Order: sequence, then C-alpha cells, then structure tokens
Amino acid sequence: MIGWLSAANLVAWAPFVNPLKLPPGTRLWLVLPLLLCVAIVYRVTRAQSAAGLVRPTLTTFLNILIGMVLIAAGAYAAHELVLRMA
Amino acid sequence: MSRTDPTIEVTRIGLLAWLLPGAGHYALGQRGLAKILFIAISAPYLFGALVGGVKESINPRANGWLFVAECGVGSYTFAGWMLASRLPSIAPPTPSPYSSYYPESDVAQIYLATAGMLNLLAILDAMARASSGGQALFAREAARKRAAAEARAATHAVPPAATGAAPPPNSGSAA
Repeated sequence: MIGWLSAANLVAWAPFVNPLKLPPGTRLWLVLPLLLCVAIVYRVTRAQSAAGLVRPTLTTFLNILIGMVLIAAGAYAAHELVLRMA
Repeated sequence: MSRTDPTIEVTRIGLLAWLLPGAGHYALGQRGLAKILFIAISAPYLFGALVGGVKESINPRANGWLFVAECGVGSYTFAGWMLASRLPSIAPPTPSPYSSYYPESDVAQIYLATAGMLNLLAILDAMARASSGGQALFAREAARKRAAAEARAATHAVPPAATGAAPPPNSGSAA
C-alpha cells in the first residue's frame, strides 16, 4: 500500500533533482490546493488590504470549483452521448 | 529632493515582482498582500518543481512553452534552469532518475505553468498600483463605474416638484 514511499525511493531522493512519486489516487485531489492559490491571487489583485480577504477568497474558490465540476460533468455527459450514438 | 520618474518606478516595481512573487507589493508598502502573494505563488511553483524534478520540468529544450509560462517567476525559473543544466542527460531507453513520468509530469506542468501565470497577474497588479499610488486597478475601475452610475442617476432623477408630490419632511437630513 505504501510502496510509493519505500525506503529505496527515499534514500536516493534529492529534492528538485529526483522527481517525487505521488501516492496513487491523489492526482484529482491536487486540483484543490491549486484552485485555492488561484482564488487567493485573484482576490489579492482586487483588494486594498489583506484584511477581509478570507470570505471573498472562499467564495471565489467555491465558484471556480463548482464551475469546473459542472464543465467536467457536461463533458462526461457529451462523451457518453457520443459513445451511445456511435 | 528630486522625484523618481513614474515610468522608472513602475518598471522597478514590475521587475521586483517578476524576480520574486510579492516583492513588488512589498516595495509599495503593502506587506500583508505581499506575504499572501509570496506564499500563494511560491507554494505551487515549488511543489511543481518538487514533483516533476527540474531536469524535464524547467528546461526550454524539454518543453519550450512550459518554460515560457514558468518565466513568469524569474528567480525560481533561473535557479531551476541552472540546476537542470548541471544534471547529466540519460538516453531514452534507460529510465532516467531525473525525469518524471505520467501522472507526476502532468501535475508538475500544471502547477508550474499556473504559478508562472499567477505571478504575471501579480506583476501587472503591482505595476498598476505603482502607477496609481498604491490603489488596486479594479478599485479604480469600480470607483469610476460607481461615479458614472451616480451621475446617470442624478441626470435621470425627476425633482419632486415636477411630479406634484410633496417632499418628505426630513429630506436632506443625515442618512
């Protein structure tokens, strides 16, 4: 289960030189921290000060996330439709 | 005491922001925003470089367009490229310990390119603030739209006397 974190991998590993092996199944979840960073930077460009940034940042984060989920669902539905029609 | 030329000042802020995420905002005195930008841009960039390794991820010969996107963060990309150019190349049939493969390579590319583009946004914001005395570009746009809307409302407002209605007794008092 933790084969990706084996001792052999860690002993010879140098950060930024050797690539890091990600645990299986994490690829999809890595969208969340990236979306948070996008939301933070977007909101900072519209702010006058750092105070009161949390709420608008979370709103933007959720807006992007919901939008991307809807786009993914739409693309999946179109894909399924094309497969059934073919 | 001579004042700095605004064009030179805006260029200086842009260069600082390009070299290090948040440095432009820091130089403008907006230290809170600078710290947030530094973390929000450095974290995805460093994570992408960590996952992908610099040999294939920060290398104009390996992926030119990705390198262009990464150049949004000047100092990190330069350091990564220098490190990548010192690593030995390994012929394709042998799996290289310096190369990342699917899915890690995808994750690294997306994180690195996004961080570069995000810093481009931060650079433009810092330059806009430098040219307007620290005010956010969108704050100025919002203020201009608000002023235009108020001017439109004042133009189209019908005075109470024209409608025959009596004005409220305390109109014009403190709201």
